Amino acid sequence: MNKAFMEAALTLNNSYVREWKGAGNKIVGYTCSYVPDELFSAAGILPYRIRGFGATEATIGDTYFGPFICSLPKAMLQLAGEGKFDFLDGAIITPGCDSMRRLDECWRKAGEDIAGIMPKFFFHFGVPHKYTDYSVKWFIDEILRLKSAIEEHFGTTITEEKIRESIRLFNKSRDLLEEFDRLRITDAPAITGTEAMAVILAGTTMPRAPYVELLEKLLNGIKKSGTRISGMTRLMLVGSASDDVNLVKLIEGNRAIVVGDNLCFGSRFHVDRVDEDGEPIESLARRYLAKNECPRMYGEYAGRLKMLMDKADKAKVDGVILQNIRFCDLHGSENGLFERDLERAGIPCLKIEREYGPLVETGRLKMRVDAFLERIGQRRQTA
Amino acid sequence: MRPELKEYKFDTMLWSTFVAASKLKNGSEKEYRSMLPYIPYFNNTVDALLKLGEPGRLFIECIAKYFENYITARERGFHNAVTTFCFSPAILYAMDVFPICLEVISVAQTFAYKRGTAEFLDYCNEAGYTETSCSSQRGTLGAFLAGLGADIDMILTNTPGVCDTNANAFAFAAAYLNKPFFSLDIPPVLVDPRTDEFQDSDFRALISFLEKQTGRKLDQDRLRIVLDEVAKQEEIVAELEDLARIVPNPLPVAYNLMVYASRFLFSGMKECTAVLESMRRIGTDNADNGLSGLSGGVEKLRTFFCYIDHYTNSLKLWDFLDRNGICYQGNILSRSWADTAPHVKEYHTEAASYSFDDTDLDSMIRTMAGHNARMPMIKSIRGPYDAPDMWLQDTLSLAKMYNADCIIYNGTPGCRNTWGMVKLLARDTEKAGIPTFIMYGDAFDDRVESWEASQDRLEEFFRVRRLMP
Repeated sequence: MNKAFMEAALTLNNSYVREWKGAGNKIVGYTCSYVPDELFSAAGILPYRIRGFGATEATIGDTYFGPFICSLPKAMLQLAGEGKFDFLDGAIITPGCDSMRRLDECWRKAGEDIAGIMPKFFFHFGVPHKYTDYSVKWFIDEILRLKSAIEEHFGTTITEEKIRESIRLFNKSRDLLEEFDRLRITDAPAITGTEAMAVILAGTTMPRAPYVELLEKLLNGIKKSGTRISGMTRLMLVGSASDDVNLVKLIEGNRAIVVGDNLCFGSRFHVDRVDEDGEPIESLARRYLAKNECPRMYGEYAGRLKMLMDKADKAKVDGVILQNIRFCDLHGSENGLFERDLERAGIPCLKIEREYGPLVETGRLKMRVDAFLERIGQRRQTA
Repeated sequence: MRPELKEYKFDTMLWSTFVAASKLKNGSEKEYRSMLPYIPYFNNTVDALLKLGEPGRLFIECIAKYFENYITARERGFHNAVTTFCFSPAILYAMDVFPICLEVISVAQTFAYKRGTAEFLDYCNEAGYTETSCSSQRGTLGAFLAGLGADIDMILTNTPGVCDTNANAFAFAAAYLNKPFFSLDIPPVLVDPRTDEFQDSDFRALISFLEKQTGRKLDQDRLRIVLDEVAKQEEIVAELEDLARIVPNPLPVAYNLMVYASRFLFSGMKECTAVLESMRRIGTDNADNGLSGLSGGVEKLRTFFCYIDHYTNSLKLWDFLDRNGICYQGNILSRSWADTAPHVKEYHTEAASYSFDDTDLDSMIRTMAGHNARMPMIKSIRGPYDAPDMWLQDTLSLAKMYNADCIIYNGTPGCRNTWGMVKLLARDTEKAGIPTFIMYGDAFDDRVESWEASQDRLEEFFRVRRLMP
């Protein structure tokens, strides 16, 4: 695999970011997969998914957030407070969940205490929790509000043609990632889940055009490659935001391979194309809001279960790991339902609650994954 | 869960308990006193409420009636719906759908039983629902997940955009129990034409959903009657809020609890109006005679609770306040945001409030949508805490308006939306010169922190900040 993917996935201020900034370009960070990247790209701005990766403490995060809050936004605030996101020219906060939406206030208040950590452009971007005609209309207006704010702050004009161009470019990457997903689920894939995670993550932290080029090269390489991984327990990883390739590495060890996922930093990031023929803002609104895989879209469990079962079936998984960050009630509870329904369907599940961060619980997690793999092994023997 | 808990429907038990409690005063005082030892964990609650006279008795009757209504709804040819405290039940009553408010029923359990809702809280975890979720819903939800409650028809909430743990409880229940589900969504800005338009459309979708589930069309005349009653109730609440500004406050400390609980149970219904009118009579009499509502008669301190109360057994929070001469100046649950409310007139813009207009169906739907959008929490926790019309503005204004000496935050560890910024809120209210205390217990689950420990910390706060000797 091209090392560029791993570097982009493991380094916040990676070489693409540095090169982009070095050329005098702007970067805007965002916290949730419901923000339309295409809009920024059309403005000549690099959309950058803000992550918590690399935080080694929570002193700043804990100062502003209360104790009963998910450790991911705390890690993000920690990194912001340490100046690790100084390269951002702007930040978009969304109500992806209650913990994440409060990053708005906590970052702003931290900015009053720690000089220089506030991006000059700071925007609260609303996202409805349901997909209806009137919520799409509201969301179209919200995207237009964001568009105007970007244009005003950055002194640029986002033309319809630029958005269409951007949509085409992002769709191209989605097509390639879909193909990549298909290659991941073959009987003997050429790439591990750890590497796959890095490939997908890289797309959230680098400009789209070079990413597409890298993806094309990667796919050609995979097709020509003689490497095939077989004999491993095939797993799917599901649940809370997970942007740490080391978590996948820990799960895989030397006995398993993660052949599929349903993570917002993973395959949820590229599922579904944006309609290229329709009015572009409306097409963006429909694609981003209709992407109901996140449990923040209430009342859509049945659809998400069906999608997950289809994925598990196509990927021929031996088991599903349902993980959630502590205090992530949305994924945690939905994982409870998934566990009930997937087990009923004969798919073994492991439900794990964990902390976000530098794998502070490596031993415990490894032990539970090993026990799960043993369970799957015994099941195979008795089948 | 203990096997004996599964012997009876939990809500039928509560119904019987509150019916019996409402009749305790029917006999002589001696008979009443003789009966209390037979309800060792409920007697302090009952006694505290009945000591309040007519309002307390009406309040207990109100709760008993509420259980009867939803438990028997289906056999009477009506429907019921699991719903939440911040979802105004008025529209449901107008359509013969009887609400099952999880949070209020959780409080009824913590008031009645020593164990509170502990076993139902834990049962939720067994069913796959996270232990970190809010205990206010979880305490009653567990009973329904275990099949120990009345059969239910549908599940409703209006908290997406305001409180994830709340909305998630109802979405989980709908998926787990396979029941029809509808949620009203809440945009982050309160005063905005886009918000009004969205909420109007959303409320119409709710009505369509209810019509589909019940097979009945919304009756305009019926809706008008309910709305008129809501308007009447809001007027009385406004008067009670005005009375609370007087020094000494003529309202007993438990009145605030009874104001919001009555509205959560019976908004738009005569039962709620009766409790409110009764409280107004006594409050006005006290005010006319210059009397404090505190049983000791001397007001030493005024507290404003910026979120919710602590619902441990025996009304110990209210008892603690009353014994220590601490006046209760309200919380966010009891506020009305009708344009007639005193705090709306004093510090709010007209656009942030709502008004009653029963001219036609459209105006009534707008009124209902506006009312629902300004229910507790829905109104002020939807956007950033320091945005216009949101939590900080409300807290500071209400604390000042009601001459509070301090602000107290109490919630549950499941409350992601407030724990995400309560430290910031407290920092700002302290900067504004109002001592502020954050309680770390759980309003609905004493196992997180016993009431005794919470009380110690409260007392320490009062001492350290020199609010009490």
